[in-house]
Amino acid sequence: MFFLGYLRNELVRRKSRTILTVLGLAVGVSLVIAVSALSRGLDRAQAKALDPLSSIGTDLTVTLAPQQDQGGGGSGFGGGGPGGGDREVIQANQSVITDLSKLGKPGQHFVHDFFLPGTQLTFPQSSAQQIAKVPGVASVSSGLVLAAVHQEGTVPKIVAKIKAGGQQLRIDRQITPPTAAEFAKMQACLAKAGIQFGGGQRGGGGAQGGQGGLGGGQDGGGAGDRSAFNKCMPARLQRFRATVTTPEQTLQQVVDPPQTNIKSASYSIAGVDPATAGIGVVTPALVSSGRFLANTVGAREALLAASYANRQGLKVGSKLDLNGTTFTVVGLVRPPLGGQSADVYVPLSRLQTLASLKGAVNVVLVRADSGTSVGQVQEQIQKQFPRAQVASAKQVADSISGSLIDASNLSKRLGTALAALAAAAAFLLAVLLTLASVGKRVRELGTLKALGWTQWLVVRQVVGESLAQGLLGGLVGVVLGILVTVAIGAFGPTLTASSHTGGGDGFFGLGQVTARTVTDQVALTAPIAVGVLVAGFLLAVAGGLIAGAAGALRASRLRPADALRQVE
Amino acid sequence: MDSVLYDVKDAKRFFQRGPTTIEAVGGVDLQITAGELVALEGPSGSGKTTLLQLLGALDRPSAGSVIFEGRDLGALADSELADLRLNAFGFVFQQFNLIPTLTALENVEAGLAPAGVDAGELRNRSLALLEEVGLAGRASHLPAHLSGGEQQRVAIARALVVGPRVILADEPTGNLDSQTGADVIELLAGLASSHGATVIVATHDAELAARAPKRLAMRDGRLVGTAIAGAA
Repeated sequence: MFFLGYLRNELVRRKSRTILTVLGLAVGVSLVIAVSALSRGLDRAQAKALDPLSSIGTDLTVTLAPQQDQGGGGSGFGGGGPGGGDREVIQANQSVITDLSKLGKPGQHFVHDFFLPGTQLTFPQSSAQQIAKVPGVASVSSGLVLAAVHQEGTVPKIVAKIKAGGQQLRIDRQITPPTAAEFAKMQACLAKAGIQFGGGQRGGGGAQGGQGGLGGGQDGGGAGDRSAFNKCMPARLQRFRATVTTPEQTLQQVVDPPQTNIKSASYSIAGVDPATAGIGVVTPALVSSGRFLANTVGAREALLAASYANRQGLKVGSKLDLNGTTFTVVGLVRPPLGGQSADVYVPLSRLQTLASLKGAVNVVLVRADSGTSVGQVQEQIQKQFPRAQVASAKQVADSISGSLIDASNLSKRLGTALAALAAAAAFLLAVLLTLASVGKRVRELGTLKALGWTQWLVVRQVVGESLAQGLLGGLVGVVLGILVTVAIGAFGPTLTASSHTGGGDGFFGLGQVTARTVTDQVALTAPIAVGVLVAGFLLAVAGGLIAGAAGALRASRLRPADALRQVE
Repeated sequence: MDSVLYDVKDAKRFFQRGPTTIEAVGGVDLQITAGELVALEGPSGSGKTTLLQLLGALDRPSAGSVIFEGRDLGALADSELADLRLNAFGFVFQQFNLIPTLTALENVEAGLAPAGVDAGELRNRSLALLEEVGLAGRASHLPAHLSGGEQQRVAIARALVVGPRVILADEPTGNLDSQTGADVIELLAGLASSHGATVIVATHDAELAARAPKRLAMRDGRLVGTAIAGAA
């Protein structure tokens, strides 16, 4: 048919214009597809990362946080006692202050892992049983999630010299003169030695060295008199006796930190109760390779977070030595984010032994009877255990941060706007290009009118061309969009989501050691929905139609005589 | 063949250009009989093209009337005018006005396509006319690959393909050298007569106008003289 042939010729023989229009539309469409696929991918990744508790069969986590403002504390949820939160944290993490001398003799090589509860304080395992009794609680599992510091190196020599003494004590005291009784006694004593004392006037001027009180009483005589005199003095004056308390002094001396080659690496470790399979800090559902921990008490088995295993070059079957206990890695897991995940998982009882925290846990995972009762259960637990921190999945999710969250927030805020902008730009481009092309063809369209083409035929021709360009643009755009999303999947950035526990700065510098950060890496994918493809395609077609209509309107408004007057 | 084809009475056409009104055609009275070859002579700007457009139903008069075969063109609807342009008139332009993306054959077809004939007939009739203008061998060439004379011959074939009663040619030789122009005019006159079409040619070329039996001289939008060859 002539009109279709004409249409085809217009598209084929005005290649550059057609390509420009088609590409403009295609870029718009592919942008719309890519942006929506991207935000879909982000949503998915986010939903995965931000639903940290459901994968471990948990609705609520119960932890014990240090109190920071008031006294109280103690080692239970309800108990009161002396000491503020800081002290609690320091006590709980005492072993971080490495007494290097205990590791061995200086010069010896040592490997040691320290396990610290950080700011997530421990409490008796029996608390879990109490929580299990709260109405609405379906099941509970307790766990012990610790920050671990692996240290390796040579035991250093630690010598600290502290000088003491050398102080001068000066005592200045008035001595009470001899009483009358003492004086009489002295006189008698001296008389016995043949020395006349007191009242005698002879030899008066010869006194030397005598005390004022005895003045004149001394004979000008020899040395024998002196010893008799010494002997006859009251005991109180013969020897000065007093208890002198020197002011209290604290000796302070900076001991240089021992020079050593100790290397430390921190990771996190969690004790899992293998008996509660459906609920726990890690569950069999999260095992990505290998198997879950055997349900035997104290098995020397460990699970590793896949990302940690990857970093450390460990795999299923690897051996892990923790302070002399060798664990076999039986499986890799993809732990959820949200504070209770760790790099290494071992049976709870094993970790309690390793960390010298017998019978202690620091998190209780709670599953409610039904999803609707979660809020009530949370309130109940909070009421019964005022010091407990009861967090719901939502609260845990809110604490997660990282590029994934940033990107997702960005896409939520900008994604729709960006897609709309791309679509609008594509539309505008199509309309402008069509208008420009119609503008250049005014005389041609006038000629067609002169040849007897009706307005409808001219409009149909122009709209037909635009529609064809729209279809082409849509197709190319869809293909381009798919390519872009595939490229994003192949080369896309890896987004991270991190959950952070502890690490406040109020803990005398312990913050860094007690902080536990768990990072999950999510490769960015851009899954395409068929609906988006169809919508993108229709968008281009609609763009073509709108552009064509705009161009045709302009063309049809011109009277043929005016159109013919136009100079090309 | 003495029937009156055109009866133009005091036809005027104004254009508004900003505040000033330009009178392109200012009161033309004219009668044209079917089968005539009429030259519309005058310098550029004299209103030839505008009058030709009024005669060819491309434009409506601002005042007065253009009666074609008894119908007042100024009173017809757009669709009726389009129908007349398709079936009754054929146009030949100074710039040839071929569609650049269509081959010679397709350009001829474009003149007949709206008539709704089937594809085979469209092709046959178009090819036949290309043959008549001596361009059968160049049917598949694009306008850009044809000489000016060839392009104008394609335009003549396009004008004739619907079997029009009137051929309106606006400076058909204006873009051609004199020899080619003479050839084109000869071809146009010959074909028009063999197809029984009236030809109205607007030109500023006195030599070309002299070949027409009837010459109408235009100045400033008005007819200033009529000369009929052999009647002087």
